[in-house]
Amino acid sequence: MDIHIPEEARQQPDAAPPVRLGVRGISKSFGPVQALRQVQLDLRAGSIHALMGENGAGKSTLVKILAGMHAPTAGDLLVNGQARRFASPRDATAAGVAVVHQELLLFGELTVAENIFSGHYPRTRFGTVDWSGMRRRARALLAELDCHDIDVDTKVAALSVALRQRVEIARALNQEARVLILDEPTAALAERDADRLLDVVLQLRDRGVAILYVSHRMNEIFRIADEMTVLRDGQYVGTVEARDTDEARLVSMMVGRSIDQVFPKVEAKIGRPVLEVDHLCAGPLVQGASLTVRAGEIVGLAGLVGSGRTELALTLFGITPARSGRIRIDGAEVRITSPRAARDAGIAYVPEDRGHQGLVKSMNIRENISMAVLDRVSPGGMLRRAEEARIARDGFDRLGVRAAGIEQVTGELSGGNQQKVVIAKWLETKPKLLILDEPTRGIDVGAKSEIHRLMGEMAQQGLAILMISSELPEVLAMSDRVLVVAEGRITAELPRAQATPEAVGHAMTRRSDPGTRTGGSQQTGARA
Amino acid sequence: MTDLSQDAAAPRTGPIRRILRDYGHELLVVAAIIALLVVVGAINPRFVSARNMTSVFSGNAYIAVAAIGMTMIIVTRNIDLSVGALIGVLATVSGTLAVSGAPIWVAWVAPILCGALINAVTGLLVAYAGIPSIVVTLGMMAILQGGLISVTGGAWISDLPPEFLLAKMKVMGLPMPLVWAVALTVLAAAWMRLTPYGRSLYLIGGNAEAARAVGIPVRRRIVEVFMIHGAFAGLATLLFATQLQVIQSTTPPNLELLIITAAVIGGVSILGGTGTVIGASLAAVLFAAIGSALIFVNVSAYWLRAFIGVLILVTVLFDVMRRRRETRQKGH
Amino acid sequence: MLRRHTHEAVLALVTLLAILVLSLQSDQFLSVANLLNQGRLMTEVALVALVMTFVIASGGIDLSVGSIMGLSAILLGTFWDGFGLPLPLAMLAVLVVGTVCGLFNGIIIVHFGMPPLIATLGTLALYRGLAEGISQARSVRGWPEWFARLGQGDWLGLPVQVWILLAALALAGAILGFTRWGRTVYAIGASETAARFSGLPVDATKLAIYAVSGFASALAALIFVARVSTTRSDMGTGLELDVITAVVLGGTSIFGGRGTILGTALGLILVQVLENGLSLAGVKGDGTIVLIGVVLIATLLVSTLTERRARA
Repeated sequence: MDIHIPEEARQQPDAAPPVRLGVRGISKSFGPVQALRQVQLDLRAGSIHALMGENGAGKSTLVKILAGMHAPTAGDLLVNGQARRFASPRDATAAGVAVVHQELLLFGELTVAENIFSGHYPRTRFGTVDWSGMRRRARALLAELDCHDIDVDTKVAALSVALRQRVEIARALNQEARVLILDEPTAALAERDADRLLDVVLQLRDRGVAILYVSHRMNEIFRIADEMTVLRDGQYVGTVEARDTDEARLVSMMVGRSIDQVFPKVEAKIGRPVLEVDHLCAGPLVQGASLTVRAGEIVGLAGLVGSGRTELALTLFGITPARSGRIRIDGAEVRITSPRAARDAGIAYVPEDRGHQGLVKSMNIRENISMAVLDRVSPGGMLRRAEEARIARDGFDRLGVRAAGIEQVTGELSGGNQQKVVIAKWLETKPKLLILDEPTRGIDVGAKSEIHRLMGEMAQQGLAILMISSELPEVLAMSDRVLVVAEGRITAELPRAQATPEAVGHAMTRRSDPGTRTGGSQQTGARA
Repeated sequence: MTDLSQDAAAPRTGPIRRILRDYGHELLVVAAIIALLVVVGAINPRFVSARNMTSVFSGNAYIAVAAIGMTMIIVTRNIDLSVGALIGVLATVSGTLAVSGAPIWVAWVAPILCGALINAVTGLLVAYAGIPSIVVTLGMMAILQGGLISVTGGAWISDLPPEFLLAKMKVMGLPMPLVWAVALTVLAAAWMRLTPYGRSLYLIGGNAEAARAVGIPVRRRIVEVFMIHGAFAGLATLLFATQLQVIQSTTPPNLELLIITAAVIGGVSILGGTGTVIGASLAAVLFAAIGSALIFVNVSAYWLRAFIGVLILVTVLFDVMRRRRETRQKGH
Repeated sequence: MLRRHTHEAVLALVTLLAILVLSLQSDQFLSVANLLNQGRLMTEVALVALVMTFVIASGGIDLSVGSIMGLSAILLGTFWDGFGLPLPLAMLAVLVVGTVCGLFNGIIIVHFGMPPLIATLGTLALYRGLAEGISQARSVRGWPEWFARLGQGDWLGLPVQVWILLAALALAGAILGFTRWGRTVYAIGASETAARFSGLPVDATKLAIYAVSGFASALAALIFVARVSTTRSDMGTGLELDVITAVVLGGTSIFGGRGTILGTALGLILVQVLENGLSLAGVKGDGTIVLIGVVLIATLLVSTLTERRARA
């Protein structure tokens, strides 16, 4: 099989392997916003370089520059020692750089085989697309990735996330990649799939590919990386060798201060149960979840992506109404069939995808804050502008939104201020239960601790808070109680004192049914 | 190196299922045509007479040809409302040249080139100015329609030289429009299936950002596709304008909707990224046949449009349902 | 305030300029009789365009309005002449049918998730086909005097339908500009997902918009039939394009989220002024269509480019 992978022996440890891709003083600004400043790193053949940093640190911007999707404002890219400009993704590909993006760039309506070869079709001797050759080579490539359970003729839309990612990696390999960039490849994967992926990455390293691995999962990084580069707020912090460092040092490089300062937990009086959920089922991903949240309590909901944690929140909020099970608010049973019904029952939801679900970005702060209480500010249908402005200004001041005023368009705000607007919108509904889904994703460190402080204040005022987060430190530091979700059920409940990273991590990955697979295809009897 | 036994263990789709998946919709349209011929033929045998069949299929061949270009446009997630007006303009261009004494081949080639040039403007406005194609082509439609009548003053072109009347010629006993429609469909289908260029249309329509990431010059290609579509409109014009002895300087009303309908019933998804020109051509045949069949079973032809409307809605409903089902599956 | 309404300001200037230039070309142009007659002629398109502003601002489109108009006209004749219903009852029935047609559009868009463009393309063919099938090319004439006044008569010095139009204009402007339903329309058009996640009644609002669009088309059909005193199944052919042109020209974004009734009114007036003024100045009607097409594309080109510059 003709797989185009540079067949180079692994370098001797004493001879420094050649630098395939060098990043020298790269800066990037979007208008007035400086996204990257003076970043440098070296990707060496047969070596794995981890790129780390908090959300919003500039990792994805750097990846897009290396992929040829953004042009840097300053700095050089060196390919095998020579300065090159990537004006388009095609240039990056030609230089041997392949990227597996976080939001997988695939064509759902086309087959697996065509996705792997899209843009670089194998040809017959007449110059036409060689479909049978394409299918054959696709099968071989996937086999190389230890992936024998994908039918190359299925449409990509029908595959699970893990398998789609395998397709993207196969595509990267097909492009004769000497440099492979993986942007948070395990973020959406269950433990088992993530393990398989890491094996593939190690295998590629052994074949001499230079790999840039973007992730913030510490255990993965220490398992595979040879060196790490840390970014913070777009700034290059430093590069360290894996054998010379430890987790604590990396975290302090990433955060710039110790964790205690980041998560100011305040004690609140915990009262009667506000939310009681009993055997809730909805869609394929919520399978009999039961939980309770009390007034003044912050309950952390931990779980892998795909465990059903967000789906559980969406069911409580009426986006995907429950098929069966019971929801009680303040002891009274409620039927939640729409977000409106949820709001009327006293449930508020600050969604995961702020720009898409949380805000109407082209509207201003006033219009966004009043959106969930529009009927209250328009008795008889006519909008009371003065009342609306008053409400908006209240929320604006209370949450300390930093903006030119309530007439500023929300799309122009920073992530942290956008999140405050969303929270202000929902606090205006006077909720009993506030669900926060990834409340600090993509928010800079300062705004993050502000939001954490706000959460503490809201709990002190007797609000029941259910927080979903994939950042384990956040869950552990903020929660009075941690619930672990797996396969649509609550599989573990840990009081604050017992919620250690090990205990929660273990509960998250424990499987109730060892036979469960995430693959789209079930007939996989013959795995060697 | 790949171990063959492992390779064999991978699930595979057999060739028959592959054809069903790739061309299922087209086969459904064929089945509908055959069913129609059989049922209506049994009620009234004159319907399937060679004479009627020839007139039905060759009289509507131009719609099939125009639907080929429209398919390409819709596959890239655009739309063209101006194609009917364009065909009207091109017919007048071609007819004017034919009676002006220019060589006949000039009268034949001119509409194809003009179609490509006029649509280049549309394509530039869509791809580079970023105005949605539905609005640009709405404006182009007004410009072409109004421009045509103000220039010609509504005069008809008559006394067309007989050697110009392509649609009336025969190749090996078969009417020219039929031969052209089949040949162009096969060529365009092969091009879209077998060349990287043709595949790039599906990539653009499926996920424009991903297409850019694999190195396809998306904007330039959209302009090119509009030009190709314009050339097909020119080819359709040749078949349309040479059917009769005169060319009217008005545009056939609602022609653009007929052409879009052919593409949609043929399985081209307005959601982008799927559909073939074979389906579009077959759909043009299907509704030509329905139109004729209504007469032969004594249902007023005035109901034809209602049938087509239902056909569009049912086709799109299936497409939407299928996509929903597929997205739901991956949740497990 | 000004920044939000630049498009309307520019359009108002262009319209004034057009009126100025055209009034120099012909004395008749600014005469009261001519202006009133123009108001009469533009009512049908204008009524539909007012509702289309809501449709497009909510991120949708309705291509079937012309067909609903044709079907309504034919049904008015059938109910009255064919079934022998009293005319007022027949008119009411037609308004109900028009609303149901619009509601059907809404249902296939909202509940079956069909893209509005293609769903209403399908019903464009379906409703026109029903009109053709039911009418079998017959037309109904001999309408009573009181009905004809709806389209040809005057009331307090203005054509009757212009009163209807003015009322509709005020109502549409008030709803879109000052009520929570208007705000909901903009929110849906700007981000349907965020509107849903804010607890706004997205589905009900969209259903209502399409239903009212059907109602407006049926109302326009009644006025049209009263004006021309006959019914034909091809009435309203191409109406959708005139309407969309006026709305988009008026600054409503085809992507949704932006647009005002004031803009649509200006768009309608500009189109009508150009058509009428140029024809009085001796330009043939078809030359005017070209100009309208050019103005449409040029307006969008300018507003897209300035918007892109503002965003960068």
